[in-house]
Amino acid sequence: MEIIVYGVINSVSLTLIALGFTLVYGICRLPNFAHGALYVFTGYIAWIFLNTLGIPYPIAIFLSLIVIALVGGIMYRFILVRVRGMAISEIIASYAIGLAILEGLRWGGLKGATYTLPSFVEGSVSILGISVDLQRLIVVGLGAVLVAGLWAFVHFAGIGLALRGMAQDERAAMTLGIDSDRMAVVAMSLGAFFAGVAAVVLLPLGSIVVESGYNVLILAIAVCVVGGLGSWTGAVLAAFIIGFAQILTVVHLGAQFQVVVALLAIIITLILRPSGLFGRQKELEERV
Amino acid sequence: MKTGWFVLVTVLAFCVSITAFAPPAAAAEPIVLGCPLSTAFLYGWDAERAIRLAVEEINAQGGVDVGGEKRPFEVEVIDTRDLEPGVPVSEALLAVEKLILEKKADFIVGGPVRSEAALAAMSLLSKYQKISILSTGALTPKYHAMVAENYDKFKYCFRISGEAKWMVTGEIIPCLEQIGKDYNLNRLFIMVQDVAHGRAGGELIAKIMAGKGWTVIGEPAIYPTGTTDYSMGLIKAKKENAQVILIWMDMPETSILLKQWHDMKVPALPFGSIIAAAEQPGFWEATEGKGEYCLANVVNAGNAPCQATPWTEKFVKAYEKKWGIEPEGYGTSSSYMAVYTIKDAVERAGSLEPDKVVTALEQTDLMGVYGRIRFDPKSHQIIPATDPKEGAVGTIFQWQDRKRVVVFPESIATGKILLPPWMTK
Repeated sequence: MEIIVYGVINSVSLTLIALGFTLVYGICRLPNFAHGALYVFTGYIAWIFLNTLGIPYPIAIFLSLIVIALVGGIMYRFILVRVRGMAISEIIASYAIGLAILEGLRWGGLKGATYTLPSFVEGSVSILGISVDLQRLIVVGLGAVLVAGLWAFVHFAGIGLALRGMAQDERAAMTLGIDSDRMAVVAMSLGAFFAGVAAVVLLPLGSIVVESGYNVLILAIAVCVVGGLGSWTGAVLAAFIIGFAQILTVVHLGAQFQVVVALLAIIITLILRPSGLFGRQKELEERV
Repeated sequence: MKTGWFVLVTVLAFCVSITAFAPPAAAAEPIVLGCPLSTAFLYGWDAERAIRLAVEEINAQGGVDVGGEKRPFEVEVIDTRDLEPGVPVSEALLAVEKLILEKKADFIVGGPVRSEAALAAMSLLSKYQKISILSTGALTPKYHAMVAENYDKFKYCFRISGEAKWMVTGEIIPCLEQIGKDYNLNRLFIMVQDVAHGRAGGELIAKIMAGKGWTVIGEPAIYPTGTTDYSMGLIKAKKENAQVILIWMDMPETSILLKQWHDMKVPALPFGSIIAAAEQPGFWEATEGKGEYCLANVVNAGNAPCQATPWTEKFVKAYEKKWGIEPEGYGTSSSYMAVYTIKDAVERAGSLEPDKVVTALEQTDLMGVYGRIRFDPKSHQIIPATDPKEGAVGTIFQWQDRKRVVVFPESIATGKILLPPWMTK
């Protein structure tokens, strides 16, 4: 039973972690390797708002999400736009930004385990005989709301439809008057916002440490590769596959093998179906 | 008369210009302490702070007497990052070599911090005949065993902090037995980090405690560095009725483990044989008090406030005054003492010549923050004891009502071990 309960929690956590990355790639075809750094940065900004500036927690969270969305937009507008379309340069540039953020945070004093955010709600409940703390239930609830909200946004909102148009065919969207660069700014801001949301709900479970930025990036990439780069449905499905595989590995093989799961998932996917479960960019090569 | 004034002014001007532009009187050449430390982690930054404190104190008293000449200490720190996940050992070796070749370090103090890196650095130290005193991190017994096995090659390597074998047999096991006797507990679940000292320590404790009649639940659960979810292990501990959870991890994410333990109300006492997050003074705030009742071994006395020797209190106050925080955990008092021990040895040797200083270090007998400091002349490991009058004494404390209360060994304890309320129901 604990496999089901914690499998769902772990899978939704992975979904939250990967959603921003897959969103940006899906819309702009831009692999944002600063995703993990944005995750940690959000936590640190929220911590500063809360502890240094004394802003009430809900407002601190809201403001930190606004700030990180702006950071995402600025990243694209002033740096990534210059390398747009050059895949390797996009990776190098975004990874360099991520490194600069993470090392900057370390240089700024983010060390040790004492930087923490409080849980939204204290306490725990028993689900099917398994003890689960309420913060983890909030993670599951928020993950579901976020995925549903994103689906509604891209199906009904004007900007959402434009983003979807970009994701489907950027050139066709441009011929219909959609400003590609403006939409990319929106996508990057949204991607950073989602990284931030993941941070503010997941970080209260532990502490804000620089190293988690690298772990988050690896997990986001694993989920997106398995799901198919750019496919939101694929990302959710892949998050559940990897999430449950990780929990099963911990229970049956040992926690030390958990780190292997994400990397193994990438390798198996690349061998069997390079475009991922729902990816399309390599369909032709795979058929041939 | 005019000529006389002219000559006088010229002479005065000459004197002034000589005073103004002459190089300062040759200052004594500093003794460089090269410190390879993983400074983003507790065992690195607290060691650096302690080393700087000791150096400041010694320099304020005139420095080190090297054969009649007073020379100041100078500190050169390089971040080895060796406690970070995924950073190869070679990075730490590069740092050590840079300290020796570029920074011209006379002694290596502190790290490398990770056992694997410290072991790898031994050959490098031997190659350059550079004396090193490990004072933080590396706990593997293999370090001093290698010195004993190949003395001529590794005689430059000393360790002034504890090591895993003594910690287990001299401190952790007796403390566990005490807990078992006081509260009738005998079911042990072990959670360790996937690093050499963690795996070795966990296996050794499992073996010894099983031999002492305790029920050790399964194999030690091994967690990779950076793990952020311990729920499966804790559920297993709860299901199997574990009464003590032994934790051996030096990563900051262990605060998550304690939070989960509290939220799941696991009826087992968390015992950090090494648990970096719980050692820090900020742990209480970081876990919002959820880490209460956690025991933590900080390896040497003085790494948390106590009164082991007259030096301990003096050191704790000086550290607090300089850094605005209590000594934070493993690596603090030993790094501080490493500097004083080098000073003592160099002054007795009257020279910086490595072989002379090695001999002097082997003859060290110095009272310090955590008791009597002597090295085993064959293995160069500090001689441990449970009484500070006899040797280097360790410390196990428990978080009780916002404070780190020393509970073991009895010779320096200031309180008794308590169980969380959900264990006593």
